[in-house]
Amino acid sequence: MNRRLFLQCLGCGATATVLTQTDLLPSALGGIQNACAFDYTKTLSEVEARYYIKRDEGGIECRLCPRHCRATDLERGYCGVRENRGDVYYTLVYGLPCSVNIDPIEKKPLFHFHPGTAAFSLATAGCNANCKFCQNWEISQTRPEQTDNIELPPQNIVDICRSRRVPTIAYTYSEPIIFYEYMYDTAELGHKHDVKSVMITGGYIEPEPLGVLLKTLDAVKVDLKAIREQYYRDIVSAELKPVLDGLVQIKKAGVWLEIVYLVVPTLNDSEQEFVDLARWIKANLGVDTPVHFSRFHPQYLLKNLPPTPLTTLETAWKICKAEGLHYVYLGNVPGHEAESTWCPHCGNAVIARRGYQILQNNLHGNTCKQCGQIIPGVFQ
Amino acid sequence: MSKVVVIRLAEKPDVSGLSEEQYRTLLYHGLSALSDGKPSRQVLSDLMPRGVVGMKTNCLTGRFNSTPTVLIDALTHLLIEAGIKENNIVIWERSNRELTKAGFALNASSFGRRCLGTDTNGVGYSREFYSCGEVNSLVSKVLTDLVDHNINVPILKDHSIAGLSGGIKNMFGAIHNPNKYHLTNCDPYAAQVINLEPLRTKQRLTVMDAVRVQYHGGPGFNPKHVVMYGGIVISADPVAADSIGLKIIEQYRAQNDLPALWQDHRPVKYLQTAAKLGLGIADESRIDLRTIHVDSNGSSKPGELFP
Ligand code: SF4
Repeated sequence: MNRRLFLQCLGCGATATVLTQTDLLPSALGGIQNACAFDYTKTLSEVEARYYIKRDEGGIECRLCPRHCRATDLERGYCGVRENRGDVYYTLVYGLPCSVNIDPIEKKPLFHFHPGTAAFSLATAGCNANCKFCQNWEISQTRPEQTDNIELPPQNIVDICRSRRVPTIAYTYSEPIIFYEYMYDTAELGHKHDVKSVMITGGYIEPEPLGVLLKTLDAVKVDLKAIREQYYRDIVSAELKPVLDGLVQIKKAGVWLEIVYLVVPTLNDSEQEFVDLARWIKANLGVDTPVHFSRFHPQYLLKNLPPTPLTTLETAWKICKAEGLHYVYLGNVPGHEAESTWCPHCGNAVIARRGYQILQNNLHGNTCKQCGQIIPGVFQ
Repeated sequence: MSKVVVIRLAEKPDVSGLSEEQYRTLLYHGLSALSDGKPSRQVLSDLMPRGVVGMKTNCLTGRFNSTPTVLIDALTHLLIEAGIKENNIVIWERSNRELTKAGFALNASSFGRRCLGTDTNGVGYSREFYSCGEVNSLVSKVLTDLVDHNINVPILKDHSIAGLSGGIKNMFGAIHNPNKYHLTNCDPYAAQVINLEPLRTKQRLTVMDAVRVQYHGGPGFNPKHVVMYGGIVISADPVAADSIGLKIIEQYRAQNDLPALWQDHRPVKYLQTAAKLGLGIADESRIDLRTIHVDSNGSSKPGELFP
């Protein structure tokens, strides 16, 4: 992409979204398409992937995520963005995002991480899961040659963030684990220039690459899709255990962590599941870990289910509060009291929100202005 | 019963493969044998009475181990003889890059035989998902919108995950998300993919190139495990065609002291799954296999599957 045009786009007051083939998502381009011109590239990257081994019998085995895909010459892994070429494994999406926006950090959602600031958000094609409810399937469930990609190397991202005073880069929308190399290099470079990085992920990754990556990240939001293996198998096409292990690893590494749980009617919305979820979080991550319950809308392969009733979300909220979790939020219900952060000590609103908007910030540093209670998070 | 014709040169070809002329001869005899003596032009016009005919190639691996351009040229010749207009013939594949690398000349114009990838501007994938069992995919608009009939023209080879890459596996190239369906040796996915509505209803014929057979180390080109078989496999039944293809692969694996695919943890279970879905016959006892040898003068006679 022409960088000058790109900067113009970001400056024109709207989000610059670059998404899939025009016939898949014409509306996503919205007014930007008219306001700015994008130069898409058809070329895929050929940067050697990290975390794979060469097999004695030929071919490679990817060790980035628990799938451990095996690929012989010219074959790709499940995520569709890593390819064996002559027994060298390559990432095909390095520096090639298909979606770029400047979003409020609250949209990720990260509620305890620099509230009210912006995040330069990007994604490439591909994902290592296949959630039947995916809201970004047009980019996550496609191969990179099927999306319109722009050339945006790490240096350009960091330059844009610095010149536009955007404090954070968010790797988001699809599944950043599958563009690990691009994310890692960008985050590392960002740190050298005081630009933070946050990962918005399903958390389905091997411990070793996660451990290395965490050194470059400032916050992680994990979509914990359910607390049942069966759901992960049937609806997500992945496994629960590695995700739970990853959550504990993130917590132990001291990187700020928030969790989102998408409540899907009839599939993961029983009271017992909310109880189990709350107890697991309390026991393994602590009561100060924020949990966001968000509302399902029928799409992709789950068009037959209704949107989540507000009463179900409120049940989840009440159960988690009753189980002792301090920071429980409801997403996609603008105006609800559960959008705000309440001090667990004095009960006052420390951050009052409506949607992604901050209405009031009653924090003094990282303490409640009213009573001095420490509010966990990254606020300064 | 399903009929499968394996037609091969009586003499082993050299490594450069066959000429268009030789392919044409094989196709004349093979198609005729498929229909108990009808001329090839009638066989083709009976199968595809009018409309646009697609030919799905397998061009994953460049010039080696891809559908030969001369086989497609020979088929084009026969289709034109059968009354199909040249511009109503569409060679297609997942991407233009793959077609070009395999030696095909792209042509999306309204003159001459067309040749295009799904990634050609204005083509792309269907808006709606097609579903069967665990498979949910967008399908190439070449198949949904452009062609009325499809001839599957794969190349017979070993596949590191699926075990066999023949006609059924080749149709992974018609969907937008094939990488999601390589688990458990592609079973049941491969069968479910060819059961997606436009794939099932437009499929007319499989013409599988088995001139140079990669019996191990596929799907990429691996000269250590290639044998010159010198034939093609033809059938209107995609499952039966692949079942015979599998027999050929297994024979050469055994001859070269390699374990059978199921012993190599690559059982080709998707053939049974496809049969259960009613897509064709996998049981060899119910396949009417005709093997024909063609000599250097172009005359044919019944022969053995293996020399
Ligand atoms: S990152 Fe991709 S290629 Fe690697 S194991 Fe996971 S899904 Fe497979």
